[in-house]
Amino acid sequence: MEIYLPIAGMSLNFFLVIGIGAVVGFLSGLFGVGGGFLLTPLMMMIGIPPAVAAASDSNQIVAAASSGAFAHWRLGNVDFKLGLIILAGGIFGGTIGVQLVYYLRQVGNFEFVMKVVYVLMLGLVGGAMFMESLRTIMRSRRPASDPVVVESAQPKLSRMFDRLPLKMHFHRSGLHTSAIFPFSIGTTVGIMAALLGVGGGFIMVPAMIYIIGMPTIVAIGTDLFQIVLTSANVTLQQAFVNKTVDLLLALVLLFGSTIGAQFGAMAGKRLKGEQIRILLAIIVLAMTVKLFLDLVLTPEHLVSLAPAKGGGH
Amino acid sequence: MKRLVIILAAVSLMGLVAGRAWSISPEAQNKVVTAASKNVIQIGLSYRGDEIHFFGVNPVPGADVITRLTAEKEEVIKLSMKGKVGPFWMTVKQYEVTGAPFIYKIHANKPIGEIISEETARELEIGYPAIKNRMKMHLVRGQAAPGDADKVFEGLVNIKESDNLYNIVEDPRRLEIEEGKLFKHYFRFPPKATEGSYQVETFAFQNGELVGYGKDVIEIKKVGLESWLTKTSQESPVFYGIMAVLIAMGAGLGVGMIFRKGGHH
Repeated sequence: MEIYLPIAGMSLNFFLVIGIGAVVGFLSGLFGVGGGFLLTPLMMMIGIPPAVAAASDSNQIVAAASSGAFAHWRLGNVDFKLGLIILAGGIFGGTIGVQLVYYLRQVGNFEFVMKVVYVLMLGLVGGAMFMESLRTIMRSRRPASDPVVVESAQPKLSRMFDRLPLKMHFHRSGLHTSAIFPFSIGTTVGIMAALLGVGGGFIMVPAMIYIIGMPTIVAIGTDLFQIVLTSANVTLQQAFVNKTVDLLLALVLLFGSTIGAQFGAMAGKRLKGEQIRILLAIIVLAMTVKLFLDLVLTPEHLVSLAPAKGGGH
Repeated sequence: MKRLVIILAAVSLMGLVAGRAWSISPEAQNKVVTAASKNVIQIGLSYRGDEIHFFGVNPVPGADVITRLTAEKEEVIKLSMKGKVGPFWMTVKQYEVTGAPFIYKIHANKPIGEIISEETARELEIGYPAIKNRMKMHLVRGQAAPGDADKVFEGLVNIKESDNLYNIVEDPRRLEIEEGKLFKHYFRFPPKATEGSYQVETFAFQNGELVGYGKDVIEIKKVGLESWLTKTSQESPVFYGIMAVLIAMGAGLGVGMIFRKGGHH
C-alpha cells in the first residue's frame, strides 16, 4: 500500500513509514529518549529530502512530546519558571537555526553540514554512553571493586555562571542561579533542533542534570515541556520559511511511533539500566559510522539536485 | 514551444528558399488518430504513479512511429556538483539549468538513428542531444571548469532517469505496430510527475521523412487532501504551520489519554 506525501512529493510504502516510526518509537520507549535523532537520518535513508525530513520530524516531535509532557505535568515534575527561560533560549536558537537551514540549502551544503553535526553529536554521545555503561557492567561483575566515585554536587560550569547577573531562584528544582545560564543552553539546543530535526532531549537532559544540576525527574518533565514548545516553534518557522513540513508524513510517523513506544516501555522493564544504555550506544555509534562513510566515500553521483529559489518543492 | 515554432518557421522558410519540396512542420502532416485510455490522472492519497495506454492508426502503413511525452514547467533546476575538499565530499559549485523539459520520454519501434537523420532529430527535438542543445546553464557558485557542461547534462539526465522522468526506449515490443497499421504503447507517469499539463506526441516517419503527426494532452492534478495540503502549505504557510502544530498536539494528547485508559502506565 502506497501513500503519497504531498510536500515530500513522492510516494512511499505506508507500512515502511509506519514501521520506521514503530522501530524508533520502540527504541524511544525502551531508552526514554525522544528518538528524533534516529528518525531524521532514517527518513533521509529512504529518500525523503533532508529538509522535509527534518521539518516533518519536528512536527512529529510536537505530538510525541506533548503526550509525555502532559503526564509529567500531572505528576508535578515540570519546573515552569526554569522551563520558560530555557524555552526563550530555545525559540531564539530555533529561529537562528531555521535561517541557517535556509541559507545552507541555498548554498547547497545543508546535507553536508547536517551530517557533520550529526556525526560529531552522535559520536560524542554514543561514545560517552558506551564507555559509561561498559564501566558499570564491568563493575557489577566485580562486586569487590573500588567504591563509586561521587561527582561534585555542583558542576564547575554552574559555579562559573553563579557569578553572572540576573540571579533567580527556581523553587521546583531547588536552584539559585543566573538566568543567562539556562537561556544559553536553550539557545544551543534550539539551533541543534532546527538543524537536525530533533527535540534535543538527548543533549538537554544530560545538560540539565550534569550542568545545571536539576533533579533527574524534574529535568525530564521540564525537558518534555520545553520540547513541545521548542519543536512547535521550529515547525512553525519551517512552515513559514522553508515550506517543508509534510503533515501527512508526520502523522503516519506519529501513528507508528506511539504504538512502538508502548512496546518499548514494556521491553524496558525487563532489561537493566546499563544493558539498555549500552544497546543505545551501539545503535548510535552504528549510525555515526554510516553517516561518516557518507561524507568520506566517493558519492555515486557527483551532480545532485539543489533546492530551487524560494526553497519550496 | 515558442522556440520550436520559430525554428520550424525558419526551417520551412529555408525550405522555400532552397526550393525543397518537403516541410518539416508537424502540424501540416497527416493527422495521426490516437485514443488514450484516459486523459486525466488524479493524485490521491494512495497515488503511486499511473499508466496511460495509447492506441493509434498508422497514417501510412508500414511507417515507423516515434512517440514523445513532454511537459514544460519552466523550472529552474539548481544542480550542486560535489568535489573533494580534504577528506570530505561536499558541494563545490552550483549551476542553474533552464530549458530542459520537466519530463521527457521517447518510445520508438526501432533505434531512432535508423528512423531519422540526426538533423531531423535535432529539428524535431527527438533524443537527448536535442535536449542538450536547447538546455541553458549558468554558474551560480564556484569556479567553472572545461567539461562541466557534459557533467551537468549527464548529471541532470541521471537524476531525471532515476526519478523515471526521462527515458528513451527503442524497442518494437514496447511500441508495437500490428501489421504496420495499428500501433499501441503506454507511457508510465511516475510518482514524481507533479501536477500540470503533459503532451503526448506521435510522429510517423517513412524513409526518414515525417508523414504523420498527432497530439494528446494529459492532465495530472492533485485531488482531495493532497491538493488541499499542498495548496495550503504553499499559499497560506502561517495557517498551515499553526494547523500542523495544533493537530500534532491534539494527536499527542489524544494518544496519551487512550493509552492511559488502556492501563499501560
